[in-house]
Amino acid sequence: MTNEGSPGAPHLSYSNPTSGIMPRRSSYASVAAGTAGISSSSGHLPRIVNTGSYTHSTSLDQPSRIPQPISDPDTRVEGGMDIPSSWGRGGSFSSPRFPSQSYSASGSGGMLGFFEPSYLKESKYMEKLKAAHKAKLAAQADELLTRSSKPGSLSTSSSSVSLHKMAPSHRGMTYEIIERQPEVEDDGVTPLPSKWAETDKNAGLEISADGQDVKFVGPSKTLDHEAASTRSDNPMPAQCGIYYYEVSIISRGKEGMIGVGFSGASASLEKLPGWEPESWAYHGDDGKSFCAATPGKPYGPTFTSGDVIGCGVNFMKGCAFFTKNGVFQGNAFRDLRDVKVYPSVGMKRPHAHLSVNFGQRPFMFDIDRMVSRERQSIIDEINAADVSNLHPTLNKDELCKALVAQYLSHDGYVETARAFASEVRAEATALRGGSESKLEGYLSVEEDHDAMNRQQIRTAILDGDIDKAIKLTNAFYPQVLQDNHQIYFKLRCRKFIEMMRQSTDFLDNSTSKQTKSTTTNGHSTAVSDDGFEPDMDLDEPITSKDGGHHNNDDWDRMDTEEVAGGDNWGLKYQTLLEVIIRYGQELKHEFKDDRRKHVTDTFTDIFSMFSYPDPRKSPQGKLLESEQRVPLAEGLNSAILVSLGKSSSTALERVYKQTVVLVDMISEDGGPGSFINVGNLLQSSRKSWQQ
Amino acid sequence: MPASPIHEASRRELERIRNALAMTAARRPAMTSSTTSTATPPRHSFEQAIEDVKLSKTDLNAVIMEYLISEGYPEAAQRFALEANIEPELDVDSIQERVEIREAIASGDIQSAIEKINELNPQVLDQDSALHFSLLRLQLIELIRKATATPDGDITPALTFATTHLAPRAPTNQEFLEDLERTMALLIFPPDNLAPPLAALLDPALRQEVAQRVNQALLLSQGERTKATLYDLVNYRSWANQKAIQAKKEHLPERIELGFDPAHNGHESSQNGSSLRQAADPMVTGWGPY
Repeated sequence: MTNEGSPGAPHLSYSNPTSGIMPRRSSYASVAAGTAGISSSSGHLPRIVNTGSYTHSTSLDQPSRIPQPISDPDTRVEGGMDIPSSWGRGGSFSSPRFPSQSYSASGSGGMLGFFEPSYLKESKYMEKLKAAHKAKLAAQADELLTRSSKPGSLSTSSSSVSLHKMAPSHRGMTYEIIERQPEVEDDGVTPLPSKWAETDKNAGLEISADGQDVKFVGPSKTLDHEAASTRSDNPMPAQCGIYYYEVSIISRGKEGMIGVGFSGASASLEKLPGWEPESWAYHGDDGKSFCAATPGKPYGPTFTSGDVIGCGVNFMKGCAFFTKNGVFQGNAFRDLRDVKVYPSVGMKRPHAHLSVNFGQRPFMFDIDRMVSRERQSIIDEINAADVSNLHPTLNKDELCKALVAQYLSHDGYVETARAFASEVRAEATALRGGSESKLEGYLSVEEDHDAMNRQQIRTAILDGDIDKAIKLTNAFYPQVLQDNHQIYFKLRCRKFIEMMRQSTDFLDNSTSKQTKSTTTNGHSTAVSDDGFEPDMDLDEPITSKDGGHHNNDDWDRMDTEEVAGGDNWGLKYQTLLEVIIRYGQELKHEFKDDRRKHVTDTFTDIFSMFSYPDPRKSPQGKLLESEQRVPLAEGLNSAILVSLGKSSSTALERVYKQTVVLVDMISEDGGPGSFINVGNLLQSSRKSWQQ
Repeated sequence: MPASPIHEASRRELERIRNALAMTAARRPAMTSSTTSTATPPRHSFEQAIEDVKLSKTDLNAVIMEYLISEGYPEAAQRFALEANIEPELDVDSIQERVEIREAIASGDIQSAIEKINELNPQVLDQDSALHFSLLRLQLIELIRKATATPDGDITPALTFATTHLAPRAPTNQEFLEDLERTMALLIFPPDNLAPPLAALLDPALRQEVAQRVNQALLLSQGERTKATLYDLVNYRSWANQKAIQAKKEHLPERIELGFDPAHNGHESSQNGSSLRQAADPMVTGWGPY
């Protein structure tokens, strides 16, 4: 068991003065741990033990050690099986730790799991974080399902291998565990600070098991500049524009030498934040603000037990402020540029005890209002923006009309495009007495057979009839699939997926049939509903030698049996699977010379569905959803447009996408884009007329 | 039921394939996640980032629909609801009323526009004195235009209108006064050789601008968004681009084309054709899994 800084770390020796106050929770933990222990044959606990509603994983190597406090089972589950990362951290299993004040006080669920600070609700950052979290949950659920459906894979060796990657061994890992969703990996969203980091604290401090409370337990720091500090697990994410957290002073300890602020990862934890370079804080004993080891400046009132101190950093403006009991104290620091800082607190005397709120609960200060004011000022700025640089000749009004006109004709809304053109012309005529408009070039709607052809192809894919789509494409645009091999490949794979999809319909009908009557209606409707017609006369030659004909015969037989009212569903299901396997072999044979990674990966993905009795429950089950047809349809549509020498997407689409990327760019470091969520803009358009 | 030998054989084959695949599938997650944690994601090009943005057609259709309704294109809106299969029934009448007002203003018939507005909701102009003043001044401009169209035109109607309708309102607001004075200057100078600020008063663009303000005020009075999202989007796009330039962002192309291709080969297509083409080519960039 390798655990960074485990044995010999100095803080192991601290005894816990408060361990006696938590028997109620530890009893639950024993039950859970006990259950877990039964299923564990060796000294290792299995990585994930699913005990009904309660899911828990640990990396304990000593079963007698009880992880605690364990939160309510509901909390745990809602928390999304969040691996208790504190357990992966060095030394955390040394002694039972004290429960946090905030936790005991609130007792509400979700404390340890995913949370959404109120002031970030509308932010793009939060949206990304949620998407990452969702993907993580999905991946973990898959993982669980995979395991439960395949008991063989729960061998000691495989679980300990996975265990290694499950234990977050350093900061920033929390959201990268078993990520299989590429979009999440690409986003690389930094998670929010969620607790004090066991691995990033002075030895004189002790952190509660949920990471929310921190207490001074060491010998009193007698030297003037000596103190003990800690930092949060994750840095403040600059992309959220303004970051804010609050600390309750449960007990100030002697003299109230407490600092609340933030510091860079390199700042020493042997002093109070503010006394070190790369650290900034507001101190309770004198009410001064300390900026990176410079002498303190008078800033606010002193603070003591019972007070709530808030700390906020405005990354856009490069300033930081504090609040006391919900009252804004003004800006303390300016010119904070390109800083990567962590929430940090420090204290100096025994019995000092702080409890943090990183946004899991409502804040005392109305930070939401500050953020929405900031957002409003950005929106005002946007509304006043000069748009003349967007187009060399068209003004804003004309540009919008051109965007609409181009969208309508590009995407084949021919009738609408005509109506729009004539209404715009009528408007221009009324205004200028019929002079030629600059817009004319955008308004003319051509008689477009291509639009109709493309529409047909798109519909075929959206209906799941891949063979028809391939046939139509080859008939209208023979070059397209030859030139776009990747699309052809995806279409062929999609056909396989559609067959798998059909087999799942079969499964559903079969199970219902077993319990109900033996009519075969269900089958035939399932087949046609799905749009996957057993199309016998494929135009394109089938490359596989043994594939094609056999394949067709099977389809025939199955069809006739259904018509004849045969009720041998088991046999038919078997037959269908055979057909799918043949098609799969054919597919594999057709692309056997293509050793590119995306091809082999795709094969692994789609064929792996076979290893599940119900492919929808496989990790790739998402592929079966009909929504997955849309990108394929759009991709083929784009390829056809490109082959016709036209642009593949509408200008409106590009305007939107460019905006998203640009706004992302200017929010990376907490710039003005942080306060803007372009996606919400689209939602507003929907709301406005769909009441 | 007893399975035929063929089916028995294929069942075994299926079993074999399943087992083989289960092993592959079990190996894969480990590989994926190990590459995840070590490798830093590759730095994407701007074009790639754009391709990666997800956007649903439904959302775009909503933007278009909202534009057609709020800007007042009832015929197109109705067609679009059919062609794009958009659910809620349209209240074409409420669009039609705004369209008639817009047309009246566009054609210079301000008198009937004001009447129609008051018919619809008298509070709109009562509550927005600046808008009311703009309409009245537009009416004055039309009277002056008529009077100065011929060398011996009668300027009396224009003068009477100015004294009875605009002059009493002008003192309430410095801007009103200046606007009125500038407008009256049109009576003095010959219409064919005006200084730019005066020429702007006779430009149809002014009518269009006022018509848009009226439309927004009417939408507001009906509890709607005053401005179509499309306008916001254009502003967002322009603003974000300017900010990114100011922040000297890496990977920011010098000029980001909107990529129009109007029927007659536009000015844009040649400028940055190659890179656009590349971004648009699905072979180069891919467009997500399936």
